[in-house]
Amino acid sequence: MTAITGDDIREAFTAGTRYLEWYRDAVNSLNVFPVPDGDTGTNMLLTMRAALERCSRQRYATAGEAIGDLADGAFWGARGNGGVILSQFLRGFAQGSKGLDVYGETDLARALSNARIAAYGAVGQPVEGTMLTVIRSLSECADGLLAQNAGINPRELWSSAFAAGREALAKTPEMLPVLREAGVVDSGGMGILVLWGGALSYLTGMAEDTLKTSLDGFTAVGQTGAVEMDRAFLEAIEEVHWGYCTQFIITGEELAPDYIRQHLTETYQSAVIVGDDRNVRVHLHALDPGPPLSYGASIGQLSHIEIQNMTDQNVDFVSGHREAQAPAVQPPTALAVIAVVAGKGLAQLFRDTGCSVVVSGGQTMNPSVGELLDAVQSANAGQTIILPNNQNVVVSAEQACAGKPDLHVIPSNTVPQGVAALLAFNPEDSLESNLDSMRGALDGVSTIEVTRAVRDSTVGGVAVRMGQFIGLVDGDLKVAAESPEQALGQSLDTAGLSPDAVVTLYLGEDAAQKDAEAIATSIVNSMETAYPGIQIDVVNGGQPYYHYLASVE
Amino acid sequence: MAIKIVTDSAADLPPELARELDITVVPCNVVLGDVNYKDGVDIGPDEFYRRLVSDTRLPTTSQPSVADFQSVYRELADQGHSIVSVHLSAKVSGTMNSASQARDSLANADIHVIDSGMASIAQGLIVANAAQIAGETDSAGDVAAKVRASLSNAHCYFLLDTLEYLQKGGRIGKAQAFLGGVLSVKPILGMRDGEVHPVERPRSRQRGIRRLRELASEMAPIRQLAVIYSTESQMADELRHGFGDMLPDGEIITARFGSALGTYVGPNAVGVALTQA
Repeated sequence: MTAITGDDIREAFTAGTRYLEWYRDAVNSLNVFPVPDGDTGTNMLLTMRAALERCSRQRYATAGEAIGDLADGAFWGARGNGGVILSQFLRGFAQGSKGLDVYGETDLARALSNARIAAYGAVGQPVEGTMLTVIRSLSECADGLLAQNAGINPRELWSSAFAAGREALAKTPEMLPVLREAGVVDSGGMGILVLWGGALSYLTGMAEDTLKTSLDGFTAVGQTGAVEMDRAFLEAIEEVHWGYCTQFIITGEELAPDYIRQHLTETYQSAVIVGDDRNVRVHLHALDPGPPLSYGASIGQLSHIEIQNMTDQNVDFVSGHREAQAPAVQPPTALAVIAVVAGKGLAQLFRDTGCSVVVSGGQTMNPSVGELLDAVQSANAGQTIILPNNQNVVVSAEQACAGKPDLHVIPSNTVPQGVAALLAFNPEDSLESNLDSMRGALDGVSTIEVTRAVRDSTVGGVAVRMGQFIGLVDGDLKVAAESPEQALGQSLDTAGLSPDAVVTLYLGEDAAQKDAEAIATSIVNSMETAYPGIQIDVVNGGQPYYHYLASVE
Repeated sequence: MAIKIVTDSAADLPPELARELDITVVPCNVVLGDVNYKDGVDIGPDEFYRRLVSDTRLPTTSQPSVADFQSVYRELADQGHSIVSVHLSAKVSGTMNSASQARDSLANADIHVIDSGMASIAQGLIVANAAQIAGETDSAGDVAAKVRASLSNAHCYFLLDTLEYLQKGGRIGKAQAFLGGVLSVKPILGMRDGEVHPVERPRSRQRGIRRLRELASEMAPIRQLAVIYSTESQMADELRHGFGDMLPDGEIITARFGSALGTYVGPNAVGVALTQA
């Protein structure tokens, strides 16, 4: 049986939806265009679920009815940019299948052609390198095969179109610069490919493993299910205000979707407008969701209103990727170091200096044993050395390592100790020699920590008022002062600097928010005056809690 | 009729020492701007380092040509001499290729080409040792065998101001592990199995010099010892003076990185090379 019946269509898209379910997180984490908010996979999945709810008949006498129900359900349930374009794809597919009993190859090509036109038509300004490109490749492949008279049946056509879709998806980063910057393929395109591929698995009985292998190539998925994304890109997108994703359906008489689309596309980002003269679905991104809603209300009744703050979504997306980055699995090595630190700058420093994996944590943010073990697994090394960089974390790390001969804790109580130990690490040396020199390095460094006192107290003869800045030298409270800079200066004096000392100063997130460079320069100047000959490095650590950390070697 | 020792300029042998030991040094090539210079012949270290830091384009180096070696070998062979030719590690340069091809083209000459597996004055110490053995033996084959047997006794450690030159010159190799990071470190590199390896990352130059001395001292007893610098002779002096109790000061060689090596170690580099007794 090579023709595709109505029941086949229902089952095929049911299978496709199941695959979307599996790949939802992967698709979400590819999402950088038009807004990096990480919801494309979810939106496409919810749209398909709505489509299947409507397509619920036990038996479909004709293919046209089945796809018609799917398209209808998708229209009413569509969510997000990707979901709306998907719904329009199905609507076009259905329009091209009107009155059809079963799909032969010609029918399928015609349906795809209609689907392509409808999808492009949904968007005011179509952009290539997106799901539109993947949709186009499906349709062009079908047309091409028919033109060649390839003597192909509709299931084979579906399969060839999938291959063409894969190729098109692989090229999306070449077409859309934002994808290239992020180092990903288009998320909506991936969603379409997953759906189409899942349907293919039903139609041709393609093995699950085969299909997953061909899809997995696009989503180098870390253990959290998020795709690894370029770090600079994540930092860049964090700063922008994205506004509100605004969606609603206008129901009325003699609505003109083309006119509505034209009108809204002029004013709003990511406007996707679909529908007919009775129902029009609107999706757009607005800094203020009020005006588009008022506009809609002026021409009809509003329903299915949904408004989401995309800045929040973006923050979640970025932090999700940040978390995903740590456990991205490293290439296998004999020996690796992982570290626990808080602060962007410090995490970067540890990575640059030779740490395979950095786990976020520190004072008041003790990572769980599970998180540590996940990081160990990602480090993918025969032997793993852990730098806890905090007294409390040393305890968790030692728990995590208990009874595991391939895990080793270097008990670094502070970040400066961790840095010193990491600098003593040489991936070419043996484990034993590294453990020796790293442990040895801990004693070679003095740590100064400057933070704010949370209550009045007297410790070690130093009276401290709440709110004052205190300086700890190797864990002992030594000074209390009115400003963090004073506390730092006095602590350094207490630590005692020899003329060949090397001082490294880590600016905390509070210090970095102010004019970090000016602060650093003035501290460096005053220290160089007080201690001629010493070497001072300043690092933007961005650590929370400690205004300054400093090491003296 | 004698056994003559040949090397290349990457050995960084002080010219007076090469003359004294009757060693022929075939110059490597270094291109600055658009001009090709013969290392140590057309361009000396002062001029080279001045250009290294001021020119916008970094210099590039290339091994002596087959013809360069041929003419040196032929001249010596024509005088009836046998030749032992000791060179820069084949893993970092094509010098061994040129020398071997030149040897193969002179079928009637007695030429032994040896890969020192080292660079700079560590290679230089092996060459100087070869010259000494050549004075005590009649057969070039014996000299070559003894030199080969002694290669594993040679060690070197270089303290660089920056890995920038090594990286830009495409010779970073395994020292890659020490690249990057916002902290200022003065990397110490060594050579093992013909390749550059990362050794340590001291935070300051002073500590680095101290560590060079300690690393060398761990190799005692020492037979030959040399210190070497690129631009700052006082760094080499400081390093040399610390070795007083290991070898009489007069026996410690002070050398300078020529343009072949200087292209990669850059300014403010200092190093130590030794052979174990």
